[in-house]
Amino acid sequence: MTTSDTSRLSAWSGTSGDVAVRVGEVHKRYGAVKAVDGISFEVAHGEVFGLLGPNGAGKTTTVEMLEGLRSPDSGLLEVLGIDVARNPDDLKQRVGVTLQTAELYPKLTVVEVLDLFRSFYRRSLPTEQLIEFLDLGERRNAQTRQLSGGQRQRLAVALALVNDPEVIFLDEPTTGLDPAARRSLWDLVQKLQAQGKTILLTTHYMEEAEVLCDRLAILDHGRILALGTVKELVANRFKDRSVRFDRIEAVADERLSTLPGVESIKHDDGETVLYTQNVPGTIGGLLILTEGLGVEPGNLGIRRPTLEDLFLDLTGRALRD
Amino acid sequence: MKPLIQLSIANVRSFVRDRAALFWTFAFPLIFVILFGLIFQGSNTTLKLAWVDLDGSTGPTGSSTLRGSFAAVKGVVLTNDDQASATEQMKTGKVDAILVVPKGYGGAVAAATQPGSTPATPVEITVFTDPTQATTGGIVQQVVAGVLGAVNLGGRAPIVEAAPATIQTQNLKLISYLVPSILGMALMQLGVFAAIPLVADRQKKILKRLSATPLHRWQLVGSNLVMRLIIGIIQAIIIVTVGTALFGVQMTGSLLALGALVVLGALAFISLGYVIASFAPTEDAANGMTSVVQFPLMFLSGTFFVIDQMPQPLQVVARFLPLTYLSDALRQVMVNGTAFSPLWFCIVVLVGWTAVCFGISARFFKWQ
Repeated sequence: MTTSDTSRLSAWSGTSGDVAVRVGEVHKRYGAVKAVDGISFEVAHGEVFGLLGPNGAGKTTTVEMLEGLRSPDSGLLEVLGIDVARNPDDLKQRVGVTLQTAELYPKLTVVEVLDLFRSFYRRSLPTEQLIEFLDLGERRNAQTRQLSGGQRQRLAVALALVNDPEVIFLDEPTTGLDPAARRSLWDLVQKLQAQGKTILLTTHYMEEAEVLCDRLAILDHGRILALGTVKELVANRFKDRSVRFDRIEAVADERLSTLPGVESIKHDDGETVLYTQNVPGTIGGLLILTEGLGVEPGNLGIRRPTLEDLFLDLTGRALRD
Repeated sequence: MKPLIQLSIANVRSFVRDRAALFWTFAFPLIFVILFGLIFQGSNTTLKLAWVDLDGSTGPTGSSTLRGSFAAVKGVVLTNDDQASATEQMKTGKVDAILVVPKGYGGAVAAATQPGSTPATPVEITVFTDPTQATTGGIVQQVVAGVLGAVNLGGRAPIVEAAPATIQTQNLKLISYLVPSILGMALMQLGVFAAIPLVADRQKKILKRLSATPLHRWQLVGSNLVMRLIIGIIQAIIIVTVGTALFGVQMTGSLLALGALVVLGALAFISLGYVIASFAPTEDAANGMTSVVQFPLMFLSGTFFVIDQMPQPLQVVARFLPLTYLSDALRQVMVNGTAFSPLWFCIVVLVGWTAVCFGISARFFKWQ
């Protein structure tokens, strides 16, 4: 693959020899639903790459196609230079996977499940090393059904690491976890990256994407809406800041759009967001406007744009848990 | 091979740690064996038969010789009677069954055993049993089949040659009829219940997670079969041991043949379990479907009731149930019991059933 090809596929700027995961024009439909509708991106070696989007965006379908669990209708899927469709067995020896649900052999102990999974691979890490790395020592002889959500998820990650994989796929690794467990999983992902692993994760948490991902693709309805680093994505899209306040029914959008500096208006869950290049002008105009109507804009505030804003701007709706 | 072994061990561990599964697999059939063993122990060790001889012929083909054959069966007590008084005796429970030898029996048998004779309509020995005493009826039929088998031997191909020798050791305890039935039932449940953990593993996405490893599907299926077969053999050992040690059931057949039949029977019903797993979308659905399948099998396959004494329509149903053939075959191999169908036919039915069920599940089972 030539450099011009890669630049066509993604915004990634490295050389093609560094590519760990390559997805080219992949399509997948279930009946009438286009789950994945022409997705292309590349992940470099050692990179943490995120697929961000709401439920049904096509994140899981994309990842499961890369894992060899589903076959695409068309398009290219390559992991570590292996054609996923042609050599699924080679692929499975060299990648690690966690699925969205982490329930595994409820009546087996942590050690037993790890030993079982180790037997599936030609090459595997010692059970003890995995237990230590995932901090599961105290629960080593507990049956998996007795584990907490966070412990269960750590075990799922341990199982993904059994074969010392070069590429790790994590599908919504922190969904349903409490904040502390989520933090500890984030630490884990960062530790893995420090070891040089390539990680592709899906998430619908903005914060998670911002903390963990070197680059990310924002998905909705099976298409990539934007791709790049968090900073790039936000900066390219918004030179503006946003002025937010509780929505006032009496004020029409047409009136708001005439305020000084206002570029665009969004409504999000009872809140009105004005994107503006002139914050003082916009706020001043807003206050004059509302005073004339005898109301006050509640919770008035200014914010720098975040991924949340980006998503809202791209899709017209908020990304919620 | 290593993944197959490890996965089999994992399956056995999961099974052993599941109390409900343990109960249904080991305790439930054992409860039946012990219950029936205690109920029938001691009583009914002799079978009282009324002998109504309307022919009165003598000689090697005569009815008196036939009477002698019956009298020689261990545990059988014969009393000569006329039909009216015999019926009265049976109604008051003094005899268990009535055997009526028709007029012309001796002549017909003599003619049929003549070298070069043409086959004629068989002579019918009428056997009166009480349909409410199903198990006693089963024993009576075993005895009758055994004795008549010996008589028929003269005119038949030597396929049934071994029959007369073992008929003498016929153990008449009712438990002898029931123990093979209960083993058949236990194997049926073991197999049919295979559906539930399989569907649960699919529902919990364990199968999907395994698909993301280099594990092959044949290893997955293989480990499941290995686990079930090990448990089936353990079940057989327990049931046969308890039956023989505590309740004096006499094993007449070869252990090797029994082992082979246990494996075949387990496979036949595991394959049925896989069919259920192919069509049950959830664990709850699999539970329901398993019950729907296992209860008719349990009660209509001659497990507790002798098939020939069931109402005619149910007899027809029984002929279509695989457990009928497994229990029948087990009874033949274990205690040389009555054959409703020849052993080879039972085996053909079970092999065919297994092949069809595996075919259906291979076609329809969804891994994700």
